Amino acid sequence: MNRAFEAAEISKSFGALQVLDNVSITVNAGESVGLLGPNGAGKSTLINIIAGYEKQDGGLVTLDGTPLDDYAPHVRAQMGVARTFQAGRLFPQLTVAENVALGALGLGLSGKIARQRSEHVLEVLGITDLEGIPAGGLSHGSARLVGLARALAAQPKYLIMDEPAAGLNEHEVPALLSALSKVREETGCGMLLVEHNVGLVAQACSRVVVLAAGSMIFNGDPQAALNDEGVKSAYLGDAAFGSGH
Amino acid sequence: MTTRLRLQELLGPILLVVAFSYAVGLQSAQGLLIVQSTLALFVMVLALHVFVGNSGVLSFGHGAFAMFGAFASGIVTTPSNIKEHSLQLQHLYPFLVNLNLGMYPSLVLAILAGAIVAGLSGLLLMRLNGLAAGIATFALLGVAYNIFFNNNRIGPGSQALLALPPFQFFEEPVVLTVIVMLAVYLFGISRAGRTLRATREDPLAAPALGISIMRVRWIAFTLSGAIAGLGGAMFAHVAGTVQVQDYYLPYTFMTLSMLIIGGGASLWGATVGTLLVTGIGQILLMMEQQKPILGIVVHLPNGTRAIVIALSLVVMLLWRSDGVTKGREFKLGMPKLRK
Repeated sequence: MNRAFEAAEISKSFGALQVLDNVSITVNAGESVGLLGPNGAGKSTLINIIAGYEKQDGGLVTLDGTPLDDYAPHVRAQMGVARTFQAGRLFPQLTVAENVALGALGLGLSGKIARQRSEHVLEVLGITDLEGIPAGGLSHGSARLVGLARALAAQPKYLIMDEPAAGLNEHEVPALLSALSKVREETGCGMLLVEHNVGLVAQACSRVVVLAAGSMIFNGDPQAALNDEGVKSAYLGDAAFGSGH
Repeated sequence: MTTRLRLQELLGPILLVVAFSYAVGLQSAQGLLIVQSTLALFVMVLALHVFVGNSGVLSFGHGAFAMFGAFASGIVTTPSNIKEHSLQLQHLYPFLVNLNLGMYPSLVLAILAGAIVAGLSGLLLMRLNGLAAGIATFALLGVAYNIFFNNNRIGPGSQALLALPPFQFFEEPVVLTVIVMLAVYLFGISRAGRTLRATREDPLAAPALGISIMRVRWIAFTLSGAIAGLGGAMFAHVAGTVQVQDYYLPYTFMTLSMLIIGGGASLWGATVGTLLVTGIGQILLMMEQQKPILGIVVHLPNGTRAIVIALSLVVMLLWRSDGVTKGREFKLGMPKLRK
């Protein structure tokens, strides 16, 4: 059996608006895949379908060959599919360490193991100094890293990151790249990185999938994507493409 | 929002409750009654804190669990000879007439009754969110009310069940309350309590962490049902009587007000809210009854107490929805309740 996370021939409409049209994406075990596309391309809808937050009209989502369509988001998380959110969605009254520990507690692990995992993940990401700070007081960039840490505390097989670099400054993006590199080395989990930032995806991922207007227009090498006319056209006018930010 | 055992968070509220109990309860027979009824209400507020405070889902249905607890405890502790000769109990099932238990076994029965009713109803109710959940729990209260009001095979129907044995010692309800406080605090720092609060803080993020919202809510609902059952039984034994009306709307409104005014998210909030509302309520009651307070008689019209508590609730919901404690746990060196 091929160990992979797969969304095959996914279609989704909201009323008359077709948001996804027969889109397929596969993330193999240990692989880092970027999901690119301009605003409205259907990226968020696709990962919401993958994580179980939306129901697709057509197509199939599988994890290592097991269909996931009947499973609620929390079951998919327990099966090894973790996700982060664009807005971070941390628990503001809890400290960073407590937020991260919830990533393990949610799977039914003991408080002791959750605490150990929290400490370890914060160390891997190099943000141990934040552990006692209430999450509500974090900077945007730090909150993104803590959201990533919380997802990693579950030790997922596959990690879906929803625009982790959005809103980060020029110092925080390299820190995120470094963190992603460490995560890959440390956990070996498959990663789906949903981003606007083409430069970041090109550095962090071995393959990219590009969506435009709900359809897949590219699937291949990140450098090739940078030179692809269709991808360029989809991004025309988007400053992120030219500058890499 | 506490996540690990901090002794002061537990001991602060316990010491306050014990100090209140001894300071007021040993003054007079009336003081004793005030303390015991306050503790019985407080146990109910703690039940609400476990579910409403930790989940953020409003429940109007906990009075139902208190009813089941009160009637379960009441019917087995009322002496058989009274059950045999009482007019309002002449239709009682024969096995209930002959069933007699002591006070403490009856309290265990009350806890079980509350837990079972909450556990079974929770299987359906915990699928609901927001307004729908609030309305459905209110419907549950209505169902329970009608069961006990109209069914004289399991109780006195619309009449009162009389001659319930009181607590023998002053310390009994105090110790029971402290045990419940301990259980409630330990639940709060348990995995179930922590994940439940995560669902309250962000119901979208919680499932992404593997948390089943329905499951953790059901656990809390069942536990809070058990505690409400105990609270209802304590209330019955303090009053010496059980009447279904005692656990209906005023009881629901009063206990929810105590929780919201104090701050539903913490044990400290539930404690402060209960004592604050009780204290203000007693002062206003004395004014309604034209009794002197520090030698001064102030006359307030009847009903003032209920109006003031209702207005306090509105004020809190408008300007301080997380209560006077802001939902924080007790901490030594707290400069003041209000920030």
